[in-house]
Amino acid sequence: MTDTVRAGRGKFFDLARPSRQHLLGYILIAPAVLMVAAIIVWPLILAIDLSFQQVKIPRLGGASRPFSLNNYTWLFSSEEFWLACWVTFKLVVVVTAGSVAVGLSTALLANNRFKGRTVARLGIALPWAVPEIIAVVIFAWMFDTSFGLFGWLAIQLGFSDQMIPWVSSSTAAFWAVAITMVWKGFPFVSIMCLAGLQSIPSDYYAAAKVDGASVFQRFRWITMPLLMPVLGVTLVLTLLWVFRDFSIIKVLTGGGPLRSTQTLSIMTYDQAFQYHNFGRAAAVGVLTLVICIIASLLMLGRRSKSIY
Amino acid sequence: MRRTFAQSLALYATVIFTLLMILFPVYWLVVTALSTTNELYRLPPTFWPADPQWDIFARVWAAKPILMWLWNSMLAAVGSVALSMLVSVSAGYALSRYSMRGGATMGLFVLTAKMLPATLLVIPLFSIFSSFGLIGSLWTLVLAHSTMIIPFATWMLKGYFDTIPKELEQAAMVDGCSPIGAMVRVVLPIATPGLAATALYAFVLSWADYAYARTFLVNSPDNWTANLGITTMQGEYVTYWNDISAASVFIALPIIAIYLFLERYLVGGLTAGAEK
Repeated sequence: MTDTVRAGRGKFFDLARPSRQHLLGYILIAPAVLMVAAIIVWPLILAIDLSFQQVKIPRLGGASRPFSLNNYTWLFSSEEFWLACWVTFKLVVVVTAGSVAVGLSTALLANNRFKGRTVARLGIALPWAVPEIIAVVIFAWMFDTSFGLFGWLAIQLGFSDQMIPWVSSSTAAFWAVAITMVWKGFPFVSIMCLAGLQSIPSDYYAAAKVDGASVFQRFRWITMPLLMPVLGVTLVLTLLWVFRDFSIIKVLTGGGPLRSTQTLSIMTYDQAFQYHNFGRAAAVGVLTLVICIIASLLMLGRRSKSIY
Repeated sequence: MRRTFAQSLALYATVIFTLLMILFPVYWLVVTALSTTNELYRLPPTFWPADPQWDIFARVWAAKPILMWLWNSMLAAVGSVALSMLVSVSAGYALSRYSMRGGATMGLFVLTAKMLPATLLVIPLFSIFSSFGLIGSLWTLVLAHSTMIIPFATWMLKGYFDTIPKELEQAAMVDGCSPIGAMVRVVLPIATPGLAATALYAFVLSWADYAYARTFLVNSPDNWTANLGITTMQGEYVTYWNDISAASVFIALPIIAIYLFLERYLVGGLTAGAEK
C-alpha cells in the first residue's frame, strides 16, 4: 500500500498520466495568458480607469485622481464628439458598401474559368499587399489640388470645370478618404468571397440549370444564400477596420479640413497626443470600443462565434 | 459549359479592364517616381515619361536612410512574430487538445481583442512604456505589435491543430514519447504550413503598422520604421513626389514580393476563420 503511494508521489511530475493531462494544458497556455494579461488586459483596465479621471498626462504609479464622470459629460455635450460619430458613421457606411460592391463583383468575375485566372486573381487582390501608408502616398498625389490626376480627370469627364480643392473642401476630402479606403479594403472582401464561392458545390448550379433557372435566378437562389455567412463575417470585419483605422486618415487629411474627416479613432489619438488630454482620449476610445462591440454583436447575432 | 466567342471576348475584356482599373494606382506610383519634376507639375499629366529617370532609385537610396528604415521594420516584425509565435503555438495547441475551463471565454476574448482600437490601446501603453523608459526603443513595437498578433495567431493555430488527428500523438505516446515530445516531434512538423501561414500573416500585420511607430518612436530617428520614415518625406509646404514615390517602391516591394510568391499561405490565413 505505502509502496504504491510512494510510486505515485515519485511520479508527481509525470505529465503523461491522464490525471495530469489537464495540468499540462494549463502549463502550455500559461505564457500566452500572462502575456495577454500584461500587454492587453492591464493596459485596457488602465485606459478605462483613465477615462474616469480628469487627467492631462498620466504617470504610472503617481497618485490617481478622484473618480469623475467629467470626461464623459464633456464628450456628450461637445459638438466635436457628435461630429466625429457622424463622420465615422458616414465613412463606415460608404467604405463598407463600396468595398462589398467592388469585392463581390471582382470575386464573381474571378470565379469564372478562363486562361490566366491565377494571375488575374493575384492582380485583383494586390492592393491588399500594399501597405496603407504607401497607398496614402499614391492617392495623396492623385488627389493633389493643383496637379493631381483625379482633379484633371474630373474636368475631362465634365464633373467639374476646375481642379477640385481636395484639401480645403470638406466634401472632397471625405470622398478622397473614402476612395482610398475602398481601394485598400475591397481586396479582403474579394478574397473572402472567392473562397466562399469556391466552396459552393457545382452540382447545385447544374441541377438548377436542368430545372431551367436563369443566370440571375441561380445567383439569387443559390449563390447569395450560400455566400451570406461568409459575406456577413466579412462585412463586420471590414466595418471594424474602417471604425478603427488610423493611418490612412491621419496621413491623408489629418482629420481635416474643419474636422470633416475626423473619425472617433482620429479624435481619440489627437486628444491624447496633440492636446494631451489623456483622460478625455481614453473616454473616446472606450466609447469607440463599446460601439464596435455592440455593432458587431447586433450584425452577427447568434452567429457572432464565426468571427473568430 | 461552353461559351460562345462573343461571351469569351466580353469576359476577357471585363477582366482586363478590371485589372487595369485596380492596378492603375500602382502603375502611377512607378510613373511618378520615373518622371522629371517638370513632367509632374504639368497638365495634362504625363502617362509615361519621355525620358524615364531610372537613377532616381539610386539617388533616393543614397539620400535617405531607407535601408535603416527597412531594417528597423524587419527587426520589429521578426521580434514581434517570434515572441507571439512562441506563446501562441503552445496556447493554440493546448486549446485544441485539452478541454479547459475558460476555453469559451478565450474565444470571446479573441473577439474583443480584434475590436480593440489601436488608438485606444496606444494611450495606456504610452504611459506604461514611458515609466519603464522604453519610449524610443524598438522593444515598444515588439510588445505593441504582439497585442495585435497573439489573439489572432492563437486562434488561427488552434484551428490548424484541430485538423490534425489526435491519434498521431496517441500512437507516439504509446511508443514511449512524452506529451511534449509528441507535440514537438509529431504535431509541429505536420503543422508547418499552418505555422508558416500564421507567421507570414503576422509579419504583414506588423509591417503595416504606423500608429504605434509614430507614437513611440517619433523622436528617435535612428529607430524609425519604413512607414514612419516615408511620412517624414511628406513636406509641410513642398513634397517631392518623385522622391517619395521612389522610396515607397522600396518599402512596398518586400510585402508585394511575399504576397506574389506566398499568396496561397496568406490567403489561407485570411480565410481560415471565416469558413465554419
